[in-house]
Amino acid sequence: MTVFKPLLLICSLALSGAALAQDASVMISSPADGAKLSTTAPTTVTYEVVPGPKGDHVHLYVDNGEAKVLRQLKGTATVDALKAGPHTICIKVVDKSHTPIGVEKCIKVTAG
Amino acid sequence: MDLQDLGYALTQVVHNLGAVSVTGAAAAARGLKLAEPRTAQRVLAAWVLGGWAAQAASGVSFGAISYLSYGRFPDIHGIAIGALMLKMACAAAGFLVAALYLAREAGWSGPGRQRAWTVQLALALTALASAAFLRWFS
Repeated sequence: MTVFKPLLLICSLALSGAALAQDASVMISSPADGAKLSTTAPTTVTYEVVPGPKGDHVHLYVDNGEAKVLRQLKGTATVDALKAGPHTICIKVVDKSHTPIGVEKCIKVTAG
Repeated sequence: MDLQDLGYALTQVVHNLGAVSVTGAAAAARGLKLAEPRTAQRVLAAWVLGGWAAQAASGVSFGAISYLSYGRFPDIHGIAIGALMLKMACAAAGFLVAALYLAREAGWSGPGRQRAWTVQLALALTALASAAFLRWFS
């Protein structure tokens, strides 16, 4: 029995994180997925997030690199001008410890 | 009550008590006169040693809870990573100095012991300052 208690705790932690994350959502209203962007001007990302019970705030990523921590759940964020070529912009919901909870929205854009 | 939040909270309790232990004991020992009984300073050194161990263990626990919950570690970058590295370096150095103190202080002079406490207090304060930057630049 003593072996099962830690396992139960681990499973509960994992399941609670997975289940509650489903109540969260991310929407990126601009730029649109597949949009062509300027290589000289910064890009404004407009987003709206429902953090759900486990989420706290969001992180903005450009090409898998964390670009900004966004404390507001709805608004805009500016991304520096992108180099020519394809890029991926993602917004991920994270918990209080900055761990992504598995809810995210990514768009692909092309600069140039 | 959410188990994950409970885990974070209990880990934070240990982390905070570790910070109090290293800073308080080092400050108390640094403030003692050199003529104070060495046994008292050894007790404080043990508190500091335990405090650093608690800091390290609870730091690992924070990451472990995140990993167990979501299969990944917290996403931090820039200044926050620098602050975390500095905090970990302080914990390692502080633990080492405290262990050395307990093992070899009998052969140290009064000013030597005092220097060890000065270093210990500086490490504790640096770790505390780093924690603030880690918290707010993440």
